[in-house]
Amino acid sequence: MPRLFGMHLPAVSQSSRKLHFSVYGKNNSKVSDGMSTQYPVVDHEFDAVVVGAGGAGLRAAFGLSEAGFNTACVTKLFPTRSHTVAAQGGINAALGNMEGDDWRWHFYDTVKGSDWLGDQDAIHYMTEQAPHAVVELENFGMPFSRTEDGKIYQRAFGGQSLKFGKGGQAHRCCCVADRTGHSLLHTLYGRSLRYDTSYFVEYFALDLLMEDGECKGVIALCMEDGSIHRFRSKNTVIATGGYGRTYFSCTSAHTSTGDGNAMVTRAGLPCQDLEFVQFHPTGIYGAGCLITEGCRGEGGILINSEGERFMERYAPNAKDLASRDVVSRSITIEIREGRGCGPEKDHAYLQLHHLPPQQLATRLPGISETAMIFAGVDVTKEPIPVLPTVHYNMGGIPTNYRGQVITHTTEEGDKVVPGLFACGEAACASVHGANRLGANSLLDLVVFGRACAHTIADICTPGEKLSPLKPNAGEESVANLDKLRFADGNMRTSEIRVNMQKTMQNHAAVFRTGKVLKEGCDKMDAIYQTLDDIKTFDRGIVWNTDLVETLELQNLMLNAVQTINSAEQRQESRGAHSREDFKDRMDELDYAKPLAGQVRKPIEEHWRKHTLSTVDPKTGKVTLKYRPVIDNSLDAEDCAAIPPAIRSY
Amino acid sequence: MLSVLVAKRLVSGVCQESLRPAVVELVTTRGYKGEAPDDSRGDIIEIPLPPWAEKDGETMDIKRRRLLFQSRKRGMLENCILLSLFAKQYLNTMNEPQLRQYDRLINEPSNDWDIYYWATEAQPVPDVYAGEIMDLLKEFTKNKDQEQRLDAPNLEYLDKGSQ
Repeated sequence: MPRLFGMHLPAVSQSSRKLHFSVYGKNNSKVSDGMSTQYPVVDHEFDAVVVGAGGAGLRAAFGLSEAGFNTACVTKLFPTRSHTVAAQGGINAALGNMEGDDWRWHFYDTVKGSDWLGDQDAIHYMTEQAPHAVVELENFGMPFSRTEDGKIYQRAFGGQSLKFGKGGQAHRCCCVADRTGHSLLHTLYGRSLRYDTSYFVEYFALDLLMEDGECKGVIALCMEDGSIHRFRSKNTVIATGGYGRTYFSCTSAHTSTGDGNAMVTRAGLPCQDLEFVQFHPTGIYGAGCLITEGCRGEGGILINSEGERFMERYAPNAKDLASRDVVSRSITIEIREGRGCGPEKDHAYLQLHHLPPQQLATRLPGISETAMIFAGVDVTKEPIPVLPTVHYNMGGIPTNYRGQVITHTTEEGDKVVPGLFACGEAACASVHGANRLGANSLLDLVVFGRACAHTIADICTPGEKLSPLKPNAGEESVANLDKLRFADGNMRTSEIRVNMQKTMQNHAAVFRTGKVLKEGCDKMDAIYQTLDDIKTFDRGIVWNTDLVETLELQNLMLNAVQTINSAEQRQESRGAHSREDFKDRMDELDYAKPLAGQVRKPIEEHWRKHTLSTVDPKTGKVTLKYRPVIDNSLDAEDCAAIPPAIRSY
Repeated sequence: MLSVLVAKRLVSGVCQESLRPAVVELVTTRGYKGEAPDDSRGDIIEIPLPPWAEKDGETMDIKRRRLLFQSRKRGMLENCILLSLFAKQYLNTMNEPQLRQYDRLINEPSNDWDIYYWATEAQPVPDVYAGEIMDLLKEFTKNKDQEQRLDAPNLEYLDKGSQ
């Protein structure tokens, strides 16, 4: 059997039958004779299907394959080209190699960083597992950078402290030089191939195959030949990453289009906390390329038009290394109060030229290129113009701490959706709550990718027979594909996309107010309707980039409407969601005052709760519900939960 | 969003002979943030991935369509912008040997950052990727014509029917 990149050709050996359902699309007289409107469908059966081959997807696929499950990984990108490769920071873990450390301190930092919207059972799980996960990766072959005595080297990162915030800066970020993301992908991909994981590369997942509230697999388009594939499985893991591309300026690659969130939305399931979008303080003004937090870790400082190091005012202790939402908000306030830099006074400066040129060259060489190419700046002489830029999505598909996707009703509480799992940025466990700490994301990928694999191994055995699937399952997805392929309305994909991006940028960015958000919701609604009038130009089916970018636009829209509507409804400021008209956090108790004598507010009257949003894909109408935050850790004796408090750095 | 003045400054700054001062001793180490020693590349050495292979039997037209997708969808924003602009400029006029060089350049390296470092001349180009297309990419990256490079272009430049 020929093997190419570890990919079997299971259509021949494993599928039970080849199903052809032909969908005859609208035939345009301009279409050439060679253009078929038939969509032959190939069926595959696997024990587990993972959608997405970034850090989380690969960890899940590897874990499943290692446990003996026949696993397929469906990805629109070659694994080492997933957006994880961009990660240059590192992975947090309380190994204690630089100074004494305790994972409970990391737990505290993460709970505080989440502004008490994170679920403490999931945070407990992640921070306790972190040292094991890092050692495991080391054993798989990831060459972590080392200290002189051979231990894994760890450095400082924003928001990490010792002794529950009282012991100064912690150094718990482990890295592989400056290519931690790449090394993670390379190691996991390479190892998974030894366990016979089947990779379906450059397959675009269209939708989940749901039947009776259970997930039975995924349907996808093979870009290479335009064939449709149904991957049937008892266990589907979604690891499709974030959706930064809903905004005009973001640090994400053009691949971050929220495909998994949209698939879940179309299946009628909720997404959680989408209003919490992290703005990285230092994206290059204009192009949006990221200038890593590591710059500030090396001594870079943020200055305003008066040359002042303004972070000293906003975060007297941590200064430029305060948590990202604090820094983003500070920069935005400086700009709004008239101390922005540049002719339009609309950005801040990141100054590095006070550092010795040699240090700049050896420690931060990548920054020099990026600053030169995308900002025209020589970092040894001038500061870099920066602006808070969309960087990460704390929200996503709601799961429990074991990676199982959940829904929620007031009567029954949390309920698992059988057969469906999620991990990585696409999921919302929720470990990051309202704000994510740097270097916790790569950790999230690895711990929860692993958790999905463990949970599946706990509840299933390899080789289990699949329940039957309706013969025409997935037909709607193909009909949608066909409709877009021949769409001949009046608005081009790029037009609708830029309208959406500008609206999100202008109405749902760092600072939000009710009036501006409401205007944004109305605009987004109108833009959503224009999808019906879309125009594509490429009628082919093989490597049709126009079609794929249009499918991605559909996905982005579903993410955008949920994000802006959730933000409009949430009348408080918490973590990355910052409202000028509701500046304070609205918890069940007022934690700024003594608690004695206060009456706990019922959940309808405060905002320390998760948002659950659903969309009617036909109309774009968003419905919101709420779900309580999980305040207990997994083991109260081993790790005391942290009661809410006022968050200052 | 961006004033004309800032835009001019942005593009004028990009027009330079070399993009960074030559720092000879950096050739072998990539650098990272912190005191840690060199990258041992142990994962790359001990966990070899299946070798990249050219696709057989692809027509030039199909190859171009595939390379367009693969130029626009990269691991990080910097490459998304750079390669989709490069593809817009050159992909449709490349002949077969050039297409094959480009195919290898953007698909064989496993770390997308490497392609960026070669294009920006921050790192020397390995011999296997050196050649006409790599030179074209390096020149293109220097942006001697001072174009604005704020984002990847929209696809509609390919729509013949719209001109």
